[in-house]
Amino acid sequence: MAVYLFYFLVFPGLIFAAVTGAFLSWFDRKITARVQFRKGPPLLQPFYDFFKLLLVKETILPKQGSPFIFLAAPVFALFGATMSAVFILLPLFNIKSGFSGDLLVIFYLLTIPSFSYVAGSLASGNPLASVGGSREMKLIISYEMTFLLVIAGVIMKSSQNFDLYSVISAQQVSSPFIGSISGVLLFIVAVFCIQAKLGLVPFDMAEAETEINSGAFIEYSGVPYALIKLTKYIMFLALPAFLTGLLLNGFNLHGINILWAVLKLTGVVLLLTLIRNTNPRLKIKQAVSFFMIWMNLIAVIAIVLAYFGY
Amino acid sequence: MSELINLISANAAMAKTEYAIIITLAAGLVLFVIPDRARTFKGITALTVAVAAAILTAGLYSSGPQRFIPELWNAGKYLSLRIDNLSTLILFFVSLFSVLILLYSIVYLKGRIIKNFYSWFLLTLGCSYGAAVADNLLLFLTFWGILGLTLYKLIEAKNEESSATAKKSLILIGASDSIMIIGIAILWRLSGTLNMSEIQISTGSPLTAVAFLALLAGSFTKAGAFPFHTWVPDYAMNAPAVSSAYLPASLDKLLGIYFLARILNGMFITGEWLTLLLLILGVSTIITAVMMALIQHDYKKLLGYHAVSQVGYMVLGMSLGSVIGVAAGLFHMINHALYKSGLFLSAGAIEFRTGKSQIDDLGGLSRTMPVTFAAALVFAMSISGIPPLNGFASKWMIYQAIIDFGSGAGLANKLWVVWLGLAVLGSALTLASFIKFIGGVFLGRRRNELDKVKEVPALMWIPLSLLALTCIAFGVFATKVVVPGLFMPVTGTFAFTGFWNSGLVSLLVIVSILAGALIYLATGIKKFRTSDSFIGGEKFHEQTAYPTPEFYKTFGEFRFLSAMYRKANEKWFDIYDLSRQAVLWFSHKLSLGHTGILSGYIIWVLAGLAILLLIMI
Repeated sequence: MAVYLFYFLVFPGLIFAAVTGAFLSWFDRKITARVQFRKGPPLLQPFYDFFKLLLVKETILPKQGSPFIFLAAPVFALFGATMSAVFILLPLFNIKSGFSGDLLVIFYLLTIPSFSYVAGSLASGNPLASVGGSREMKLIISYEMTFLLVIAGVIMKSSQNFDLYSVISAQQVSSPFIGSISGVLLFIVAVFCIQAKLGLVPFDMAEAETEINSGAFIEYSGVPYALIKLTKYIMFLALPAFLTGLLLNGFNLHGINILWAVLKLTGVVLLLTLIRNTNPRLKIKQAVSFFMIWMNLIAVIAIVLAYFGY
Repeated sequence: MSELINLISANAAMAKTEYAIIITLAAGLVLFVIPDRARTFKGITALTVAVAAAILTAGLYSSGPQRFIPELWNAGKYLSLRIDNLSTLILFFVSLFSVLILLYSIVYLKGRIIKNFYSWFLLTLGCSYGAAVADNLLLFLTFWGILGLTLYKLIEAKNEESSATAKKSLILIGASDSIMIIGIAILWRLSGTLNMSEIQISTGSPLTAVAFLALLAGSFTKAGAFPFHTWVPDYAMNAPAVSSAYLPASLDKLLGIYFLARILNGMFITGEWLTLLLLILGVSTIITAVMMALIQHDYKKLLGYHAVSQVGYMVLGMSLGSVIGVAAGLFHMINHALYKSGLFLSAGAIEFRTGKSQIDDLGGLSRTMPVTFAAALVFAMSISGIPPLNGFASKWMIYQAIIDFGSGAGLANKLWVVWLGLAVLGSALTLASFIKFIGGVFLGRRRNELDKVKEVPALMWIPLSLLALTCIAFGVFATKVVVPGLFMPVTGTFAFTGFWNSGLVSLLVIVSILAGALIYLATGIKKFRTSDSFIGGEKFHEQTAYPTPEFYKTFGEFRFLSAMYRKANEKWFDIYDLSRQAVLWFSHKLSLGHTGILSGYIIWVLAGLAILLLIMI
């Protein structure tokens, strides 16, 4: 039991994932700043942000709506993010303990944060939050099937195995899945899904600072908002790491290969950052048809190609 | 000696089954005599009888498979009954739901006029017991048919609309029963027996395929699967919540899927094409129903569409043919009955206190009805498949079964990605429409006229909380206790191919909640200030609110979807309206022959006579 608590709370769960994710989010902000010819924040800025919210800032509860759900939603979101990070990172670090979740479990756990944001936004009773929540929910509907198709393609490539351990070992024995046409297509689709799951531009319509004042999070402040920040840091690690495991043959932690692992992870994050810096925000309707029609189409083509062995 | 013990135990099981059926049916008939003014007395009597029957049927559990012909009826081969692990599972849950819903109905029915509710309720119970243990198909059909009638009587005739709904349900169910008779006749012709346990034929020839499809139509109509589902949403909207929770949400699902399991896993050996057909019907059920649920404004109708959509998952699981698939289908059936009857009872609680049926008129009830809200939240999260609740566990098993199915060679196997993708899309859409339900009814701003709303009486929230706790328990203990304990005895043992430590993850959920509570306490929850919403400096007006029913309008803006929705609202896809129009058209054509001229009629009579003679010769 103690060892599972350690996995969950310390490594590779809450503390490890949050700290690494915070550094990745610093990386994202620094790159963004460089793209915009700014200097960018110091290395510890994400931690300053978090602790300021947690310890200094006042927490304000909404007068309308349901304060209980309003406070519970960030906790549940944090649980979902941490749990999925544990199930993603354990296979990546090749820790076998009998405590694991297959791809379907990870897939469902990864929706918990988004779902909780929607519940929290509705609990605040703010119409702008409702707009944000509605957009977030529509975005979930749009990318959920696409993301599953990516996973299905990976399952197909690893001959109907659907745990991350066998997916990674199948790639390490032969070659990474991205080394084929279908793999490249799946990678492209997956990057856009992750972009949407992280709520980055062009899919940030649920938050849209300039339009609806952070939408779903408009009423959040202080401690609950600190928890949301933490969730976002963890997701910033978990999703790129998941992609690394699914298509880029995971991590190999021997000698110089550690550098490769770090490069793969930061490479994916760099890609996400560049996409978000070079695109405008889409309308929700555009995002829906982007995923429902185009991304699904590419994913299906990739799956058909994978079936014929390309 | 062991034979003797077997005989005694068989007799005991037989006696228990018979008593359970007879006391419920008899009590139901007796209650007709007592006037409806003594409603509470009738309710308590019915509850006592249901509890007694529940104890009897629970005693049957794990009594092992056996067949027997009751002597006291002395009617030989037509009255053969059978008990095996599947039927005892069904009996157990039929009893459970009956008791809980009866408990709820005692308060709920105050001030409502449904004639002889408790009589029809007990008759339903007795007939459900009968259908679950009948081995002879004609006996089965008798019990099954009476259930259609009680469904009709359990709806209150308050206005034209509810009468039309009652009629629609009766006609659809009755029509499907008569289709079943055709199937049974073909079966009798082919195999020479009417006992389910003795029939086993393959669906190779067209005739057997017709028999299979005829029985399938019966099962699909009862369970409410595409394309025979159209009575369920209407029924859910117009019937009182207890009736919806009792029949379409729990008992009809249990029996419909029970019969599906019987025909798929015993009576017929399905070929590749029928499997493909079943899978297509399964995913169509999921997607079409949940798309309709998204645009509903009436929360009971929304729940009704979900009572259809979830059947798709059961059909998917059942038709895969693998052991894990059947177990997953049965598990989902039980889970669905748990959370859907719970949701209908929550809807009943909301209606009981507010008297409103539209989501648009509600909002912010979470503070005033905390228990109902907590229970409804658990049910909504279960049905949307949020881990670690029970709906997730059974969906996870179904997905696993689909992935395993994908390694086969047939066309249906090759298309596994389609079944998986659409099932997951259905799950996301379910989540979306329950965000609408929970958000619209319980969260958000409360209207002034709802300020006086109170929590429902204890007799109503106790069954709700029991169902919610069962949902949680079935999720938490899914892989270790529930599936091996309840479903493996029915289907045979199997190993999960995926990994899901439901117990451990649930423990970590509790750890997270405690840690979260600790953080809030440590940072001074007392000091948290409460303030009204910030809307960019504007004042809040009723018309600036963004109510949840408006959430998914975006989807209606797509040309294809808006066309589909328009057609659906014009009842283009409703098999009931389609066939009604066909019948009306046909009878109109026939009426053209009624000219009122005598010579015309004489020609008709002579022509008919001539045709008859030709056939007889």
